[in-house]
Formats: sequence, C-alpha cells, structure tokens
Amino acid sequence: MSEIAADSLLRPRPSGLTPFVMASVVGHVLVVAVWLALSWVLRGPAISLDQQPIKASLVRLGKPRDEKLLPRKEEEPAPPVKTPEPVAAPVKAPAVDTAVKIPSKDAKPDKDSKKNAPDAKKSLFDAMNKAGRAGKVEETEGAADGDVNGDSARQEGERYYGLLKSVVQRNYDVSDTIPEAERRTLKAEVALWIGQAGELLEVKLSKPSGNALFDEAVVGAVKKASPFAPPPPNLREVLKKSGVAIVFRAAG
Amino acid sequence: MTRPVTLLALLVPSFVLAQQNVIEISGANFRPMPIAVAIPAVQDDAARKTLNEFDSALMFDFSACGLFQVLDRKSYLAPPTEGVVASAIGFGKWSDVGAESLVKTQISSDGETLHGDLRLFNVAAGREDLKVSEAVPMKDARRLAHKLANAVYKHFTKETGPFETRITWSRKSPTGRDVWLADWDGHNAVKVTNGDVNVIPALVPGGGVAFTSYRQRKPWLYVGKPGSDPVLLIGKAAMVTGAAFSPDGKKVAVSISEGENAEIFTANAADGSNLTKVTDTKFFLNTSPSWSPDGKRIAFVSNRAGNPQIYVMTAEGANVKRLTFQGTYNTTPAWSPRGDLIAFTARDERNAFDLFTINVETGKIARLTQDASNNEEPAFSPNGRLILFTSTRSGARHLHVMTFDGNNQVTLSIEKGDYSTPDWGP
Repeated sequence: MSEIAADSLLRPRPSGLTPFVMASVVGHVLVVAVWLALSWVLRGPAISLDQQPIKASLVRLGKPRDEKLLPRKEEEPAPPVKTPEPVAAPVKAPAVDTAVKIPSKDAKPDKDSKKNAPDAKKSLFDAMNKAGRAGKVEETEGAADGDVNGDSARQEGERYYGLLKSVVQRNYDVSDTIPEAERRTLKAEVALWIGQAGELLEVKLSKPSGNALFDEAVVGAVKKASPFAPPPPNLREVLKKSGVAIVFRAAG
Repeated sequence: MTRPVTLLALLVPSFVLAQQNVIEISGANFRPMPIAVAIPAVQDDAARKTLNEFDSALMFDFSACGLFQVLDRKSYLAPPTEGVVASAIGFGKWSDVGAESLVKTQISSDGETLHGDLRLFNVAAGREDLKVSEAVPMKDARRLAHKLANAVYKHFTKETGPFETRITWSRKSPTGRDVWLADWDGHNAVKVTNGDVNVIPALVPGGGVAFTSYRQRKPWLYVGKPGSDPVLLIGKAAMVTGAAFSPDGKKVAVSISEGENAEIFTANAADGSNLTKVTDTKFFLNTSPSWSPDGKRIAFVSNRAGNPQIYVMTAEGANVKRLTFQGTYNTTPAWSPRGDLIAFTARDERNAFDLFTINVETGKIARLTQDASNNEEPAFSPNGRLILFTSTRSGARHLHVMTFDGNNQVTLSIEKGDYSTPDWGP
C-alpha cells in the first residue's frame, strides 16, 4: 500500500521552480510599485472637462512674401477658358402659346441625358448630407432633482442651436444677381418650428427684407437644411410651440 | 394684493418661455444663379434661319455675364418640345437638374421683322416672373437676343445690362493694324479704319472711335466712324496716344510725347481745342490716362519714381498721389465706372503680365489673373461688372471677358487674330 502511495502521481514532490516563481511575483510587484510611484511623481496637469477646444491653424513653412511684390492668388490656377456652347438643332415650336401640349406622364427623358445629368451625384451627396444631419445627437439627461435652468441643460441647448446655425449657414446660398450695394443692408428674419424627430414643422418669413430673391433664399436655406437633428429633451416643447427665429444678414 | 402678484408670477415665466430664441447668421454664400436656358422654340421657316445666331448670342450673354451658371443642356430632363407657358412646364424636371430660374424663348417672323418672346420662370415657385417681347429687322437676330437677355439682367439687378454695349479693338492686318467696332460679344464687327497703322482706340461717348493713326506719318489722334474718313482731332508734337474721354463726353485726355518726355493733356473732345498740359515732370513719362466716373480725377501711369506706377490726380493736375507700391511695372489703368476700383496690368516677379485691381480708397490690390500666360489691357464694361482684356493663353493675343473680381473668364468666340488695346463703351 505504501509502495503504491509512494508511486502515485498525486504524491507531493519537491519542485525546483518555486524560487523562480516567487522571484517573478516579487519582481512584478516591484515594477508595478515603481510605475505607480513614478506616475504620481511625474503626473501631468489635471484634465478639465470644461476646457474649450484649442483651435490651431497650420501655417505653411517658408519665408513670408515680400510686401513689395504683387499678390498671388491662394486658390487653384484660373480654370480653363470656357467656350460658348454649340447651338442645338432647331426645334419646331407650337403655333401659339395656348396650343402647347403638356408632356404626358409616360414621357421619359432620353437615357444619355439622364446619365449625364449632374443631379444623380447631387442627389447622392444630398442624401448623404441629410443622413449625416439626421444623425442622433447624444442626449444628456438632467438629474431627477436637477434645476430646470441647470447648467448642463443650457449647454445642451446651446450646442443644439449651434448645430442648427451651422447646417443652415451651409445652405445659405444667395444669388449673385443681387447688386452689391443692396447686399450691405439686406436683412430678413425667418421663424421655424421643429418637431421631436427634427422635422421642420413650419417655416415662415417673419420679417421680409424687401428683396424677393433674398427672402426666397433665406427660406430656402432653412428648408434645404432640414430635417435637423432631433432636439434635446429640454428644447422639444420650446421648438415645437414657440419655434426659433433666425436673422439673416447678407453681408459678412 | 396677493392674487395679482400670484397671477404675475404665473404669467412671467410663461411669457419668457414663449419668447423665441434668436439665431443670427450673416455672410451669405453668393454664387451665380443656376439657370436653365431652354432651346428656343421656332414658329416658322424664316425665323428658323436665324435660330443659330439668336441662340448663340443668348447663350453667350447668360454664360459670360457672370451672374448666372448656365446649366448644361445635355442634362435637361424636360423634352425639348415642352411648351413655353407655366401651365405647360414640368417645373419638377427643371428643379431636378438644379435650375432656380428657367428661360424660355420663342421666335417668329412676319417676313421683314423677327419677333422674339422671352419668359423667365421661378422654378421653385412654378411662377412666371417676367415676360418680354421685342422685334428687330430679320438680319438682327443677335441684337434681338441681346435685348431679351438685357431684360432678364435688369429684372434681377435693376441695372441696365451690358449686352447691347459696344467694344472696339486694334487688330493686326496685312498692311498694319486696323481699328474695329463690334457688339460686346465681338460679333457684328466692322472696320473703322482701312489700312496704315491704327492703334489704342477709345469709344467716343457721342459715337465713333478715337485712335492713334500713322496715316499722316506721325502718330496723331483721329476720330472715325465705319464707312467714313477719319478726322484729325489732335495733331501736335511727336506722338499723341491713349485717348480717354471724360464720362460727360466733353473732355478728352491724351498723352503727348516730345523726345523722351510724355505729359498728360486734356482738350475739348469735340474739336481738340483748349489743349492743356496737366502733368509737368520734364524728364519722365506720363501716359495712359483714365477718368474717374465723376470726371473729377484722372488715373495715369508715370515712371517718375523710377519705374512705371499708377498715380491719381485731379483733372486739372493737382494732388498727384501714387497709388501702387507693389510690383515694379504697373501700367494701363482703367477706372471702374463704379468708382471704387482701378484695374491695371502688372508684370510680376516671374515676368508674367497679369491683371489686378486696386481699391482707390484702401489701396488694397487683388489679383484677377494668374498662371494663364500674359493678360493685359483691361477695359471695364459700362456697368463696371465685367472686364474685357487681351490674353495669350490660347496662342495669339485674343479677347476675353471676366467679372470684375476675376471670375468666369470667357473667350470671345470670334476669329483668331492679334487683338490689342480693347475699349468698352455704352
């Protein structure tokens, strides 16, 4: 019986690895302790979550341009010279205005025209743009016992109005046909109401500028920018019931 | 007392909440208006013969004026046979190709007269904003197009369009150089001179063209009209060049050279009388006068500081002020009819000649052309929105037009040749 026990694989045997395992454990503990001590001693400045982002402008390396030299354009070289479009083949006109036929619903544009149409690409970009705009904003809910005018809610609101301004500004295209002298004084106000999902409920020109083209452009800018991102909870009621006003000025 | 206070307390927050938040946005992105110009509809065979001329003039006007981005006809989704009245137009198809405005025209003839109708539509609103009809002799199909395009231009800008204005230039000929007079697009060109060397033309406000001609061996100033012999206006000293007429047409400014000296003179535009020296620098050159739109000042070139620079003085020669301090070779000033800018040619540090403008008040210089061979001799359109100039970008010196800020550079679709010193007038 004792011989059997002596030959058993379960019998404890002295191991030569024990000192090495112990040394490894002690070594790791020392490395962690030193790392903690060093990171405490060499710690960097505390990170403030209130810190505003730092904007940096990259400036090209080189010597500044001699002020006595004539300026050079920053943008790309002048586009290739345009040549007038070839004149299309004559088209038989209807005899009188009233005789003009309304194109039938079945009428289809020719395939080549459709293929070459820039609207396909434009639609794709528009769709991507809108998809991006419709992306859900991060919702920061307030505390159950928080103040209605609590700081975090206000920041969320400011962020949303900033977002609104930026998407409308991107679509704020106005025709060059408006004379320069008039541009300096043009100002219009648009009121808009936004639903919970960011959809444009209503838009109206609350204070016209007096220039129809400009007025159409500012209303168009709001329409093109919609749908917007869904408003944060604290703004939902306000944007739905009271709306928001946007004052547009033509001049920069 | 308690009740009113309580009511007030209830009302104030609701009033505050009802206030709309206000966002302010300034600085619109101004850009040419996307416009679709449908193929003109033709009502009879006589009108059909004029279609190409009419259509090419119409397309050029809209494309080159800088206000519009004329959409490529290949992209149009509406059938070419679509009607010209709002009820017959599928505005969705025009909106789909990006058009904000749509121009529809139709021409017809009664044998001697060519009639043209133009309708301008607001695509988004599906609304006709303008309808205009014009009639011209059959041979004037291009003029008909210019008249109709002008109506559209005026509708938007409230300013008279440039499409019925005239330009002049000097062009190399087998016997020297001739002066030509043409429509703004370079078409309908007629010779004002016939033989000899005739250069630096300037449109005379009352009609005709003034130019320097060697027809009597000496380069003196003449005034001519197509089909008639030129008349000597100022024949004095060795050379009379660079005629510029005051905006009211009463005065002409010229540069008169004697030996190595050239001075600016003014005279009565009608007969060259009352010739008066307005610069007096003795050993320097003073050339290329250009009047301010109010007729009170003259811009000119002088090398009194060692190299050619742009200067400004009163029409009587007082208060001379150097305007350009950048670059070492600045010439051919042209004062904008709007008054704020002077366009000029300058040689840059790469020895390329390019066009620039300088703001008369601030002295700020803006570059209009760059990296497109040599570009010289600017002339403003009468409304100040466009600049006509010469360029060697496509080989020989040719005429081009662009907006006053250097955008939308377009080549005039006229015969190739060596064109120089264009001028532009009403």
